[in-house]
Amino acid sequence: MTEFFEPLYNATMRDALLVGTMVATMCAVLSCFLILKGWSLMGDAISHAVLPGIVLAYIAGLPLSIGAFGAGLFCAVSTGFIKQNSRIKEDTVMGVVFTGLFAFGLVLFSRTTSDMHLDHILVGNILGITHSQVWQTLGLGGVVLGVTLALRRDLLLICFDPGQARVMALPDRLLNYLLLGLLSLAIVVSLQAVGIILVVAMLVTPGSIAHLWTDRFDRMLGIAAAAAVSSTVAGIFISYHIDGSTGACIVLVQALLFVASLLFAPKYGIVRTRTVAAK
Amino acid sequence: MTELIHSLLTPFQYDYMLRAIWVSALIGGTCGFLSSFVTLKGWSLMGDALSHAVVPGVAVAYILGLPFALGAFVAGLLAAGTMAFIKARSRIREDATIGIVFTAYFALGLLLISLFPARVDLKVILLGNILGISDPDIEQVIAISAVTLLVLGFKWKDLMLFCFDASQARTLGLRPVLLHVTLLALLAATAVAALQAVGACLVVAMLITPGATAYLLTDRFGKMLWLSSGIGVASSLVGAYASYYVNGATGGCIVTLQTLVFIAAFIFAPKHGILASKRRARSAEAVPSP
Repeated sequence: MTEFFEPLYNATMRDALLVGTMVATMCAVLSCFLILKGWSLMGDAISHAVLPGIVLAYIAGLPLSIGAFGAGLFCAVSTGFIKQNSRIKEDTVMGVVFTGLFAFGLVLFSRTTSDMHLDHILVGNILGITHSQVWQTLGLGGVVLGVTLALRRDLLLICFDPGQARVMALPDRLLNYLLLGLLSLAIVVSLQAVGIILVVAMLVTPGSIAHLWTDRFDRMLGIAAAAAVSSTVAGIFISYHIDGSTGACIVLVQALLFVASLLFAPKYGIVRTRTVAAK
Repeated sequence: MTELIHSLLTPFQYDYMLRAIWVSALIGGTCGFLSSFVTLKGWSLMGDALSHAVVPGVAVAYILGLPFALGAFVAGLLAAGTMAFIKARSRIREDATIGIVFTAYFALGLLLISLFPARVDLKVILLGNILGISDPDIEQVIAISAVTLLVLGFKWKDLMLFCFDASQARTLGLRPVLLHVTLLALLAATAVAALQAVGACLVVAMLITPGATAYLLTDRFGKMLWLSSGIGVASSLVGAYASYYVNGATGGCIVTLQTLVFIAAFIFAPKHGILASKRRARSAEAVPSP
């Protein structure tokens, strides 16, 4: 048993666990809003679109997270603009915009000489996190988490019932942009841990797991966070022992939790709905 | 002047460049053709999901020494089946389902690659490697393209009807389920071919951007098919050629070009571009309403 907990004696692993827990909690809380609003694809699009921002910030000598944040917002705003001014469906517009930005990022990247590793941006490298990045992740993550939780009633209303939100004179446009901003920031914070491609999983799966367990939103937030944190910790431990990709292990544990919930969740699981149907 | 021409012609002196250029054009044309159907049906997210979901299949195929197309195709269909199952049996929305399934498949592929790093190169799968494509891989690309183009060539009217209006297709005696599965299989197959050219991250662009561009340029589906295939071929040709000058980021070049063509169409398209609609709005204002 002590052998299993060996990673705890290692400073790198302790940092990874700390950062992983923060990222998991923050993404899990946001994921509850995203899946209710139907914005799962938005997370995918923004996460790919940050690449040119990262490269440009590197060239300009700015903090990478500022570039990434700008590019993420640019993706969201230009998607909205093209959708409003053309007859193309929203999901197609999003696909065109985020791949265009990602491709531009790749071309830029191949033209700059840098010591950045493209693999680390794409699939994350939580074990290579530096001490200053740990603090940055904890700080920014705390801000995103705090703002989201403080405004959860208003955000929930614009996700669940935009019409009602407008009737109640909530600034719905502002809140939509705020949610987009929080999403972009969360993606930037998570990149180091899980990378561009798998951050979508952190932003969709925990909320979906919780959605299978409960109808009450506050409970959903708790379940999502618990599912995400436990799979992150388990994933980091497993990856240490089998020497496999950390991001992949986290996402796979989460996917297994989803499958288990899909089958056995008390109210909406397949086993349960079957027995109800049989009666 | 001759120096300029000389430097512009250098890529053609290399065998691997010529091969990369014509293979890219073939893939671009096939994906472009299919992209009209994909954008019409609203399956953009599906294209993205399948291109990531094939990764474990590619990894297993390389580890076992099987043709990569086989593994990828099986993984793609399995992922599509998983999505359909979860969507039918749970309260989770379709877009969330797609997100969960494709990331889980991709993570599985990533784990396999990290466990067998010597057999598969992650970068090749993520970003493509058309400049270093091997002969057996070219044969697989040719086979996939031939089958896709044949099926689309013979069945495009049925598939078009299905994409426009599935229930109408049923009343006319077509079998929508069969057409659905056909289109899904073609999507998985072309995603596999495009993986070679531009990599998993950018496959979705090859599968939707040409179609979306053509949709801005015409209202007739027959014409849209020609336009989207043409855009696919041309952008892949030029992109692969241009990538000689940018350190081999072939996928990035091709897709950047496609996006630029899309932006041009978005602004200047004769009927559906923003300039045209602005002009229309202005002339409507100029005519006093009775």
